[in-house]
Amino acid sequence: MSKPFFTVYCLIIYAFLLAPIAVVVIASFNAGAFLTFPPQGLSFRWYLVFFNNEVFMRAIRTSLWIAAMTTVISGIIGTMAAMFYVTHAGKLKETVRVAMLAPLLLPEVLTAISLLFFVYSVGLGTQNLVGMIVGHVLITLPFVFINVSASMESYDPAWSLAAQSLGAGRFTRFRRIMLPLIKPGVIGGCLFAFIISFDVFTISFMLKGVGMSTLPIQLFDYLRTNFTPEAAAVSTCSIVLTMAVVVISEKVLGLRIHRF
Amino acid sequence: MTEVSIEKLTKDYGQGPAVNSISIRIAEGEFISLLGPSGCGKTTTLKMIAGFEDATAGAIRFDGRDVVHVPVEKRDIGMVFQNYALFPHMTVEKNLAFGLEMRKIPKDEIRTRIAKVLDMVQLTGYSERYPRQLSGGQQQRVALARALVIEPKILLLDEPLANLDAKLREEMRVFIRDLQRRVGITTVYVTHDQAEAMTMSDRVVVMFGGRIAQIGTPSEIYERPANLEVAEFVGQVNIIRGKVGNRIVSTAFGDVPVSGDFADGAELMLALRPEALELLPIHSGATGAPAKVLSSYYSGSLVDYRLELAGGAVVNVQTFPRTRFADGDQVLVHAPAERFWPLGTVA
Ligand SMILES: Nc1ncnc2c1ncn2[C@@H]1O[C@H](COP(=O)(O)OP(=O)(O)OP(=O)(O)O)[C@@H](O)[C@H]1O
Ligand SMILES: [Mg+2]
Repeated sequence: MSKPFFTVYCLIIYAFLLAPIAVVVIASFNAGAFLTFPPQGLSFRWYLVFFNNEVFMRAIRTSLWIAAMTTVISGIIGTMAAMFYVTHAGKLKETVRVAMLAPLLLPEVLTAISLLFFVYSVGLGTQNLVGMIVGHVLITLPFVFINVSASMESYDPAWSLAAQSLGAGRFTRFRRIMLPLIKPGVIGGCLFAFIISFDVFTISFMLKGVGMSTLPIQLFDYLRTNFTPEAAAVSTCSIVLTMAVVVISEKVLGLRIHRF
Repeated sequence: MTEVSIEKLTKDYGQGPAVNSISIRIAEGEFISLLGPSGCGKTTTLKMIAGFEDATAGAIRFDGRDVVHVPVEKRDIGMVFQNYALFPHMTVEKNLAFGLEMRKIPKDEIRTRIAKVLDMVQLTGYSERYPRQLSGGQQQRVALARALVIEPKILLLDEPLANLDAKLREEMRVFIRDLQRRVGITTVYVTHDQAEAMTMSDRVVVMFGGRIAQIGTPSEIYERPANLEVAEFVGQVNIIRGKVGNRIVSTAFGDVPVSGDFADGAELMLALRPEALELLPIHSGATGAPAKVLSSYYSGSLVDYRLELAGGAVVNVQTFPRTRFADGDQVLVHAPAERFWPLGTVA
């Protein structure tokens, strides 16, 4: 492909991907009473409404809390699974991989329904967040697994052996040698887990307790009866929030330090 | 300094023994090479000494203490890996400090020991570099320094020079050997390169198919190989056959007295190294077997000839290129009787 043509091609793809987001963001600054595009005048009016809307605020807090828990649990289980998969699975390798990726292959609704049956049959119910978090961990696990096992592939097992020969026990080898070297995969996987958990609808909808709601559920609920730019303001905030998480973890945890 | 003794060590991965009941006594400060073709069990042996593999049977003793059940991290070994295995996210200094930190050595002592070892491997001034900023040879020396700085009981190296180019490889041979002598550490070196094993080692252990074929000094291995396999693995060799009669084998080069109990009439194989033979002009009047030059390869300091003897047998001869013979020339080949070495009877 010739260079200018390729550039244009890329621009079109980007426009296609980003245009809806731009529309939402612009619409959120609408001064009018209805969600329209182009907006009628610009104002922060709907942001104020949103920030003073205790229902939305509670939903955001719930979502953040669930996403944080999910990220930690999924990060730990997914990393351990990836380590097993790459270094110890042997003949079980393919089986382990399929098992780990299974939640991606099943329709989310099915996973959600079976989990719902499960939490009730073991007596957990849906009034606590356990079922919800289990569901989120389940669907985010494949992303942690894929990311971590990809960075494990370029991890030379001889590094662990060398550390061992120098006197490092199992835990030290992991903390001082392996973890720093697979960090990009772990952080990448955790980011995926966080964003997906923050965004997921079906699983949350099935497993939520009465009167509980996450941001996507609340938004959906809201849009059934209202059509104000507040919805766009909520969406814009959620986009900014996820982007902030990505940028901050890159800066603070040093996703890019891994240069060699 | 540590004496290492290996007794009837066996490793079976489940498809027959990869290492089969080998016994070696390694003296304090000795440099031992494990030499053999691919798959003969060298790495497996080294891994068992290091503790990376469990032994199926047998004992490994460091100064008389059985270490078979001591885990790698407690065994106090220094290991150099084929691809160096330097930690890529750590500077040279951090790489070297790692083993010392594991031993809870105080910070200022760590600093002095690192300075000392860097000086020893001639890398002073490189402590802030990352492994990727070093050449292959420099990485190799860091790996060596990392293994030595912890002052281990024993140094283990698995084909450490395999990734270097030929010139550097020869330099590193001398370097490692000198360093080992200075430090005086008991060393086990794995290689399938016979020149490496011969030039570096106090003794060479030749292995085939998981068994030890011969243990000996480089000259013993070369000049008095235990059997045909060893003779052929270590350098080039001509195999001369002949019948024993009265402790004498008559060959094309004349009668060769043999020591050892060989029954009269048995057919013997004698090893004769190419450089043991001497080429003379056909009309020189000396004793020797007449032969025709089939081909010759000139390599600067030496010439390799392929000769056909009167009976049709082919022998290889290596000489200094003082007198050159052309292909097709008739020559006399002289072989001193003491340069023949009996390898056993023909099966
Ligand atoms: N983990 C393992 N599982 C099963 N068999 C193995 C394992 N490691 C080695 N072997 C087998 O044991 C034998 C000896 O292997 P080893 O690695 O010790 O050979 P080597 O002498 O080091 O050869 P090379 O020069 O190729 O490195 C080989 O036949 C090999 O296939
Ligand atoms: Mg090997």
